[in-house]
Amino acid sequence: MNELWHTFSAAITQLASGDPMLWGIVGVSFSVSASALFIALLPALSVGFVLAYFRFPSRWALISLLNSLLAVPTVVVGLVLYMMLSRSGPLGDLNLLFTRPAMIIGQILLCFPLLVAMSLSAFQAADHRVLETAKTLGASPWQAFVTLLFEVRFALLAALVTAFGRIIAEVGSAMMVGGNILHHTRNITTAIALETGKGEFVQGVALGIVLLTLALVLNVSLGWMQSHSRVLRHGT
Amino acid sequence: MRLELTKVRQSFGEQDLFVIDQLQLISGSAVHLHGPNGAGKSTLMKIMAGLQKPTAGQVKRIADADESDLQQAVIYLHQNPYLFDTNVRKNVEYGLRLQGRKDPKKVDRVLQWAGLDHLQQRQAHLLSGGERQRLALARALVLDPALILLDEPTSNLDAGSLERIEQMLKDLHQRGTGFLLSCHQDNALTKLCNQHWRLADGSLSGVD
Repeated sequence: MNELWHTFSAAITQLASGDPMLWGIVGVSFSVSASALFIALLPALSVGFVLAYFRFPSRWALISLLNSLLAVPTVVVGLVLYMMLSRSGPLGDLNLLFTRPAMIIGQILLCFPLLVAMSLSAFQAADHRVLETAKTLGASPWQAFVTLLFEVRFALLAALVTAFGRIIAEVGSAMMVGGNILHHTRNITTAIALETGKGEFVQGVALGIVLLTLALVLNVSLGWMQSHSRVLRHGT
Repeated sequence: MRLELTKVRQSFGEQDLFVIDQLQLISGSAVHLHGPNGAGKSTLMKIMAGLQKPTAGQVKRIADADESDLQQAVIYLHQNPYLFDTNVRKNVEYGLRLQGRKDPKKVDRVLQWAGLDHLQQRQAHLLSGGERQRLALARALVLDPALILLDEPTSNLDAGSLERIEQMLKDLHQRGTGFLLSCHQDNALTKLCNQHWRLADGSLSGVD
């Protein structure tokens, strides 16, 4: 018990000291995940919108495929991407393996189906009169789409928060295509895996505290958004 | 502005909902559209407003020589109007913003006309049924449309709200805005109309 407490207090001390290596690892995690989310967001929302509002052959097959991709383990995404980016792979000439862009691509592949699935539900749950009202008041198709995004903004923010939570906490893909290189591709989860393997728990616990704090902040934000949405709608 | 429908047919599967050979609606008209449930009144109004394409036929807006594009607007109002998830004032400003215009004085005037000036900062979802209808009308009026198509505007309205909407429609008509309203029963609003169209059994009757 004393050992655990000693490790925990050392981890807090390390965080508070502003250790550049530790916070550099946190920075890699945030920049990679934020970039992936930023790149995936608009295409994913557009696909969700098309799937919700347009009827075309194979629409259900596409939705089933996207739903299946939600359950793909992160290491499988990492494995496929590794094979694509390795020297003998079809994208080997790009020299992306063990770089941040490779990690970003992996995280895009992980968050894209989730963003599509959650935005699809948000659009399907939206009132069908939103687009008609926007159009009849003179909105162009793009303006009507933006109006719809605004009307379902809380559900979309929830999708964003959930997707960010999923990719910042994933380890499989980041480890395989990032290579866990210090100051370059080592992020929170790959660093925790490495330090734990070496028996150096202090840094692992410190990074775990960052992840847990982030999870808490994301969930509190999500809860606030949902309750704020209810207050706006019902006034209570 | 003249709205012209030529050989318009609306079908669902094999079955025709209605077929209209020729129909004209001129800005400044006041038309009551009635007919049984399921006859296609809402569908016809959405086709006229350009929100829905008919199975076949043409819908044309023909502008008078001195009219701008904005004055050719045909606005459809749902039976239960959808109000954007923001406050009353921003709902009224919506159409102006789409055009990149800001006209706070006009918005103030329209809010006052609709009797909503004291509620302008209130969330639109918190309004009563009558206030919602008035806001939907105000949101349309601020754009100076040529025609307003009101789908069952009297459902869920109390006597006071009905009186207020009646006054608003009278004002609109005096300004030259045409309106077409669908209503099951005759009431104060239908009495404002000088044409009465009946859509039943797949065809429209009572058209001049």
